[in-house]
Amino acid sequence: MSTALPSWTREPLLHFLLAGAILFGLDALLLARKDDPKHIVVSAAVDEEARQAFTAARGHAPNAAELQALRQVYLDNEVLYREGIAMGLDKGDTAIRERVIFKALAMVEAGTKPPVQDADTLQKWFEKNRSRYDNPMRLTFDEAVFAGASTEQAVQGFVKALNLGEEPELQAGLRVFRDRPVKTVVESYGEDFATALAALPPNVWHALKDKQGWRAVRLGAAAAAIPADFATLRNVIQQDWVDAMMAEQRSAAVHAMAKKYRIEFPQ
Amino acid sequence: MKHPLHLTPLAAAVAAVLVGSLVAPVAFGDDSKKPRADKRGQYVTGDFHNHTTCSDGSISLQKVIKKSTDTTDTPWGLDWFVQAGHGGNGNRNCTLVEDATLSTPAYPFVEGKSPSTTWANSIGAAAVKGNASNGTPLSGAADPRMWRWQSIQEYQYPITEYLSGLRNLPVFMGMESVVAGHEHTSMTVVSGQVVLDKAPTNTAPGFTPAGNATALAQWSYCFDRNDADNSRGAGQNWDCSVPASANSTDSNWNATAAKLVPASGTGVGLRGHAKTVEGVKWMAAFHGQASYYVPAHVERAGPFNPDGNNGFNVEHLRNFNNAGPDVAFGFETQPGHGASDSRGEYYQDRNSFGGKRYDSVGGTTFGGTGIYGAKVGGVWDALLGEGRGFWFFASSDWHNRGSFGPDDRRSTQDFYPGEYQRNFVMVKAPQGKKQYQSLGQLKPQEIVDSLRTGDNWAASGQLIDRLAFVACAQGEDTDAGDLREAVVAAAANNVAVDVEDARCATMGQKLVVRPGQSVVVAIAVRDPQGTSFSPYTFNNPSLAQVGISQPLNQPVLDHVDVIRGLVTGYKTPGAADYSGAWPDNWVEDQDMARVPAAAKNTSAAVIKTFADGSWKASAKSGIRSMVFTVPAVTQSQYLRLRGANLPAGVPYETDANGEPMADVYTNAGTPSMLKIKCEVTPTAAIASGATYTGAAIDGCPAHMARYPAVTGPQYVSYDVAAWADLSFYSNPVFIEVKGGTLVAGVK
Repeated sequence: MSTALPSWTREPLLHFLLAGAILFGLDALLLARKDDPKHIVVSAAVDEEARQAFTAARGHAPNAAELQALRQVYLDNEVLYREGIAMGLDKGDTAIRERVIFKALAMVEAGTKPPVQDADTLQKWFEKNRSRYDNPMRLTFDEAVFAGASTEQAVQGFVKALNLGEEPELQAGLRVFRDRPVKTVVESYGEDFATALAALPPNVWHALKDKQGWRAVRLGAAAAAIPADFATLRNVIQQDWVDAMMAEQRSAAVHAMAKKYRIEFPQ
Repeated sequence: MKHPLHLTPLAAAVAAVLVGSLVAPVAFGDDSKKPRADKRGQYVTGDFHNHTTCSDGSISLQKVIKKSTDTTDTPWGLDWFVQAGHGGNGNRNCTLVEDATLSTPAYPFVEGKSPSTTWANSIGAAAVKGNASNGTPLSGAADPRMWRWQSIQEYQYPITEYLSGLRNLPVFMGMESVVAGHEHTSMTVVSGQVVLDKAPTNTAPGFTPAGNATALAQWSYCFDRNDADNSRGAGQNWDCSVPASANSTDSNWNATAAKLVPASGTGVGLRGHAKTVEGVKWMAAFHGQASYYVPAHVERAGPFNPDGNNGFNVEHLRNFNNAGPDVAFGFETQPGHGASDSRGEYYQDRNSFGGKRYDSVGGTTFGGTGIYGAKVGGVWDALLGEGRGFWFFASSDWHNRGSFGPDDRRSTQDFYPGEYQRNFVMVKAPQGKKQYQSLGQLKPQEIVDSLRTGDNWAASGQLIDRLAFVACAQGEDTDAGDLREAVVAAAANNVAVDVEDARCATMGQKLVVRPGQSVVVAIAVRDPQGTSFSPYTFNNPSLAQVGISQPLNQPVLDHVDVIRGLVTGYKTPGAADYSGAWPDNWVEDQDMARVPAAAKNTSAAVIKTFADGSWKASAKSGIRSMVFTVPAVTQSQYLRLRGANLPAGVPYETDANGEPMADVYTNAGTPSMLKIKCEVTPTAAIASGATYTGAAIDGCPAHMARYPAVTGPQYVSYDVAAWADLSFYSNPVFIEVKGGTLVAGVK
């Protein structure tokens, strides 16, 4: 059918809205159309979606001609969709794949059940995962940035001058690090540096070597890790536990489904 | 954004030690006057690289101008705007507006038409001029693609002139040229272009412009790689000859078209580059002070390919600058597309040269900036180290909003001009006149002049909105306090620092000193009050890693680095240290020993880092000021600045020295590399398909990437990655030592 359509039917916004309507209507339609892929039913629900989309976009309800034009847009899209599926155009499309995964996961989730609370289980789960809740060891320190080649001798000299309250010429400035979780210090400077830094006497400049070279640093404070208190965090822990149990149920359900597949990995 | 300054007693003590000597009294010479704020000058913000449906953008010319310069509908409010779509051609008419809200008397909304309506369905195919690449008239085609020269000259330019009057702003035309021998360049020729100083009085459709963009249109015809027209401007008899060049005796000259048409095949990159150098020469010869040529997203297309049209090496930037130092005076090494799944659209293995894959140079961006500009001691420093006037620019490269509509505040692709990145350029009222009373008084020529001076800088995410940066020769009565006062006043009031009588220089200028003379440097930046244009109010997940709670829409300037490099003079074309490609696979192996001598300046280094404790901060104004001395200068050199919201040692963002790390850890294009989790649940989900126009998204938005897809946790990516990682870059102040190396490229 090659009837010329009004130009407004080519508006991207309208197509966008109709595409959304089609997506939501698709499942119902697929279920409704039974077994005949050559049979297209334009249902009252499709008309209603089209009316709503048109009204939202244009500020008034479609008249009969406009509704017919909308139906034609819908039909054209439905034909293209069916032909595209028939040609396998959905294969290899990441967006479609992720959308299908999302919908399948939603079906799996519908089959899960909220776990029954049990204080002892909750406590054990908390102890197993307490690193998520403990306040980690934190380091407050400064680095007096050294200009030039940071050899051990040069930085030691710089440190000596700093501790004497002298200001060596041409030094580059100061970096202030407050309450840095020790894990992030390890990531940036290395394990040895972080360990040595945490052990320094406070308020004295020292030369310390990291992954890149020598640095002039001064520890302000090393705040010990604070273990989390179960009672204080009970509500948060409980929600996290529920989420974790549901995730386990989802994983178990997916693993059960996977049993019907023969799975190979690269050798 | 402004935050109270908190200093630990320890930091305060260190500050006292370090700052004490930095601000020790220094003296200006007897023959100098005190530097002072100069209200004749002001920094104005703009963008010169963005797209409409006339090329591959998604909205009309009117809409992009409104979005970019408005202060109400959208808040970003640029002061000047250059619309610059791709060279070549396009079949959509971007002058047709989307809806009645964009109607103007001269260019009203037309029911049933949109900026995606073709030229054939709007003006009619018969009105499309020139010839297709096969030489047949476009007017005979059913759906002709209009050459950019015609759309600029006849359709786009009149609208920019008209809207300049309506908006009382300098709005004019440029182009993102598709470059022969390379990828893209932002450019314009402003000769003939007019900014109206009062609103047109049209009451009916139609507008006759006072000016024209014929010179820009002719350049597009003559030198754009994608312009295959041979009509010589359809009756305008354009001739693309360049004075003192081979022209018609060049084997690539097409007599019918009267322009160079490099033969395809092996060597096309070399032939194309030669044509492009001719294009710069043409601009220098005919519009020497009225044009600019700024290679765009300069690292994206990989290194130069002699047999294709790909990237730029350092020697090509040198060739352009040599051919037209007043024209090719900088590069966009901070690309747009800041919210895309690969920041700047830079990624590894992006480019294929004859089947061999090459990364975008650097593999990705580094804190949003390409490796040429981001790497201390890299390509930019190599060019500055020659004493070239070669400046840093940023752009939006606006096309579309990715997964969202054009009015949504979220983005998985681009930011609007002014929304995220902006170029601040200094404009000065003529001698004897007061400050510009309105932006509409600024003409295209004045914007081009201000870009050329190098007295400009770029900032992302509204990290800072004011900067004053001067270097002064030390004399007997130099007073660092006066200097600090001058830069603070300049930054507070967005005015210039008068350096003309004070033996001082600012960005883009050079200070000449005696051998052994010391130089006093003063810097003031303003961390603006209030919130940024980010729609996200939850804490920055990158900073959360190191225990810092800071809302994404309230970024705080963490530090300012001062970078110094020595100037050793111009490289000689053909010499071994003139040419060389940045090494491939940079993300995997970032060893500067792999970089050829041509592309690096080994003397460049961070010589100062200022932060809380070592700068002087005003909690009330948000201004941070810094003063220090470079003692006994014996070698010509330059100083430049950069600053960031992220301190040193933020995992996957900055290294232990505060250098920006490769952005591969926040690029959703390679989800397995994502590292920084986003775990804040929003209080209200935004409905799928809804347009979000607010500025209060208080948790990780649904579009942030998950790994594994669908089921995995969310990671910092897309626009959230951009808003989390902000920077500013200044252009350099040069210091030339008398009797030493000349800083020849700076006047």
